[in-house]
Amino acid sequence: MNFSPAHRAALAALVGEEFVRDDAVCVHVAPADVTQLAAILRYADAHALTVMPLGGGTKIGWGNPVQPALVLALHRMNAVREHAWQDMTCTVQAGCTWAAMQRALAQHGQCVALDALWPEQATVGGVIATNDSDVLRLKYGGLRDLIIGMTVVLADGTIAKSGGKVVKNVAGYDLHKLMTGAFGTLGVIAEVNFRLHPIERSLQTWSIKTSDAFALDKPLRALLDSQLAPVSAQVRCNPREAVLDVRLASLDEQKHSQQLALESIAGGISLALADDGVWGERQRLAGDGGVSDSERAVLKISLPHDELCNFLARVQHIPPEISAQAVAQSHGLLLLALVGTENALARILRTLRTEVTELGGSLFVQAMPAALRESIDAWGDAPATITLMCEIKKQFDPNRTLNPGRFVGGI
Amino acid sequence: MLTPAILAEFAAVVEPGGLITELNQLQTYECDGLTNFREVPGAVLLPRSTEEVQAIVRLCSNYAIPFVARGAGTGLSGGALPAAGGIVISFARMTRILDVDIVNQRVTVEPGVINAHVTAAVAAQGYFYAPDPSSQPVCTIGGNVAENAGGAHCLKYGFTVTHVMGLEVVLPSGELLMLGASTLDAPGYDLAGVFVGSEGTLGVATKIILRIVKRPETVRTLLAAFDSIRHAGKTVSDIIAAGMLPSAVEMMDSLCIQAAEAAVHPKYPVCDALLLVELDGPTAEVEAQMQQVRSICNANSSWEIRVAQSEAERQLIWKGRKATFAAMGRISPNYIVQDGVIPRTALPEVLEEIERMAQAVQLRVANVFHAGDGNLHPLVLYDRSIAGQEDIALDLSYRILHLCVDKGGSITGEHGVGREKQQAMGYMFSEPDLATMQRVRIAFDPAGIANPDKLFPRTKLCGEKTGPYTPHPLEVAGVAEFF
Repeated sequence: MNFSPAHRAALAALVGEEFVRDDAVCVHVAPADVTQLAAILRYADAHALTVMPLGGGTKIGWGNPVQPALVLALHRMNAVREHAWQDMTCTVQAGCTWAAMQRALAQHGQCVALDALWPEQATVGGVIATNDSDVLRLKYGGLRDLIIGMTVVLADGTIAKSGGKVVKNVAGYDLHKLMTGAFGTLGVIAEVNFRLHPIERSLQTWSIKTSDAFALDKPLRALLDSQLAPVSAQVRCNPREAVLDVRLASLDEQKHSQQLALESIAGGISLALADDGVWGERQRLAGDGGVSDSERAVLKISLPHDELCNFLARVQHIPPEISAQAVAQSHGLLLLALVGTENALARILRTLRTEVTELGGSLFVQAMPAALRESIDAWGDAPATITLMCEIKKQFDPNRTLNPGRFVGGI
Repeated sequence: MLTPAILAEFAAVVEPGGLITELNQLQTYECDGLTNFREVPGAVLLPRSTEEVQAIVRLCSNYAIPFVARGAGTGLSGGALPAAGGIVISFARMTRILDVDIVNQRVTVEPGVINAHVTAAVAAQGYFYAPDPSSQPVCTIGGNVAENAGGAHCLKYGFTVTHVMGLEVVLPSGELLMLGASTLDAPGYDLAGVFVGSEGTLGVATKIILRIVKRPETVRTLLAAFDSIRHAGKTVSDIIAAGMLPSAVEMMDSLCIQAAEAAVHPKYPVCDALLLVELDGPTAEVEAQMQQVRSICNANSSWEIRVAQSEAERQLIWKGRKATFAAMGRISPNYIVQDGVIPRTALPEVLEEIERMAQAVQLRVANVFHAGDGNLHPLVLYDRSIAGQEDIALDLSYRILHLCVDKGGSITGEHGVGREKQQAMGYMFSEPDLATMQRVRIAFDPAGIANPDKLFPRTKLCGEKTGPYTPHPLEVAGVAEFF
């Protein structure tokens, strides 16, 4: 990397000696605030130093690999700046962990209604940059629906705000939507305003359990077509078992009628009350589970709802040299964890990508053996919008300073 | 410049009758719902297909002709106002519902489809399309997309952007692209997210994939009468603080009640502040919450509480609310509708301040608002026939927007910036904010021909406190000048 002592000294002058740290391959710099963050980016951009923003590092392997000259560590910018609980909004710095934010909001019985992976380590900025979401999305939508404003720093050091602190607002372009899921390639998220929801009370989970995922197709369709207004619904499966979990807001006086409605939806398949722990399935599958990184792959797959159970049944029949476990949210996002040899994984990844694309969905490889990254793009083929996306990248980061190559189509 | 030769080229790409150039016909398109800005377009095109739209936009691109797309023209911020010498692309002939996919809860429409027709197409299967601007019986999905339209029920269900999965878009270059998809989280930037609400400045949508929602088991609508806005406002805060998320919370002041009564006779109680609360969901949950809402209203000195006993009664309540803007004609010769947003808790103080500001210039301001999300619609009442009063009214309406920004809010919650609030954008956003938004604009529309001179601030108006001036790309390019 082209990192000279002069660069190091210049960065130390911006943030203080103790907040610049070398490791074997790059330099970590930790700004205290948005002004320092902007100064670092301005310097890096002017000196052709590539930058990778870093939160908790939980998803740093997602996307195509990047070898940055500079790691911009956001852990010092970790404050919940404002919790206007009566207005049900909050302002949080990007380096705050998801769990720390939720704990602060819980003091007034509120939350950002989104369950992120590894919340104790994952930061607000990282969750947004990777557009993470899970089971609450069915009821509350994704980050796109929960973020109401953002402060972002562009590669040239421009500090820009979009949106605001009110839930309803159509003034100007929603830059925050562009930043959500952009993997830090357009700017560095510094501060975020969220709309909040009350923490759900009196939730009850039921499970409909069978062996064949396709048998859950009818119950899942019936559930989504019902007026039960589920908070969450997911299908978990492995080669032996398939389970449809349903979570409802459930007052005592509702429990009986809900039970009856679900029995009718289950259509003879066994229905039972279940523990809340089932909703941690995605995080369980996304983790390594003690398996070496060279033998596992984790995929995020998006499908039309009506294809979910069919696809899960197909996953149940993946040849036995690969162990496959999946959890599909009823809104169409599915996490598939595969364990097998590199060769076997490479074959199945290619096959699944073709199948998913034919179904009108998309497949993103979150994790795979390092050796496969050369031949398999995490994102797949560049979409038709690539020219426009490259143009946006050029407008926001003309020198390709931020996370070069990490995103779709080599952005 | 639209020369006869160029007009002939336009005529060649649309079906016969698809090009309007007669002045008396063009005048239909000179303004939208904000009638104090008018500009007769150079021509109006009425395409029937995506291919025709693409051909039209290609010609615009070749000859640097500004264009604006138009649905029903109900917008309230001048978003569909034509540019001088530009063309209007009307979607009056692209009104087909292309696909209804109940299982996946998607409906695909052409932009000219009327909002209420989407719900009509899926109602029999027990679904509805949630965004419900007051103009929903006439306004189009294309216009809703441009403005990111809201409505009374977006408190619970979200805005147009929440319900747009993907769009087929003709870029200002004439290129056709699909932004977003019918499935979630397609790899790439959220281009659909940034396109919705961009007020026609990034291109023209020709096909829109919408998400529909299962109709709730029960809907209950309550009216509560209060002697003061403060009590009604406290009630709203208490309802939210109790952990409820009503599908709508609306408030009207006495002037609005009076106007609505005169127009559509909704039989509202005569009071200083009327609160309308709607809850929906599973029956048991709704009934339990309705009890809670009643007791919160009582605790805040509501002196009359009514719950609609039939769907007809509920419809009448909403008819009164949705007719409020138009009903202003019953109590004032002219009026200006504004669309500020404030943090909900600032409601009482902002309303008192608006009252003071109005009294200082001896005008009346009627207030109707989406109280749940702090979206105010102050209606500044005036009489154009009195010399100078319109200017005073306009100035007051802009100062109200500045007040909203000062309180941590926004200049527009659902009507859009358009031509009307260009200047106020400079009050709300700093120069770097606006310059960053321009980067998006330039990526989509480097020539600046898609609905130019909207949304971004331009020259300073007399007497208006505005932010820094951002030159328009056309101006920078030397294509246009402002005086």
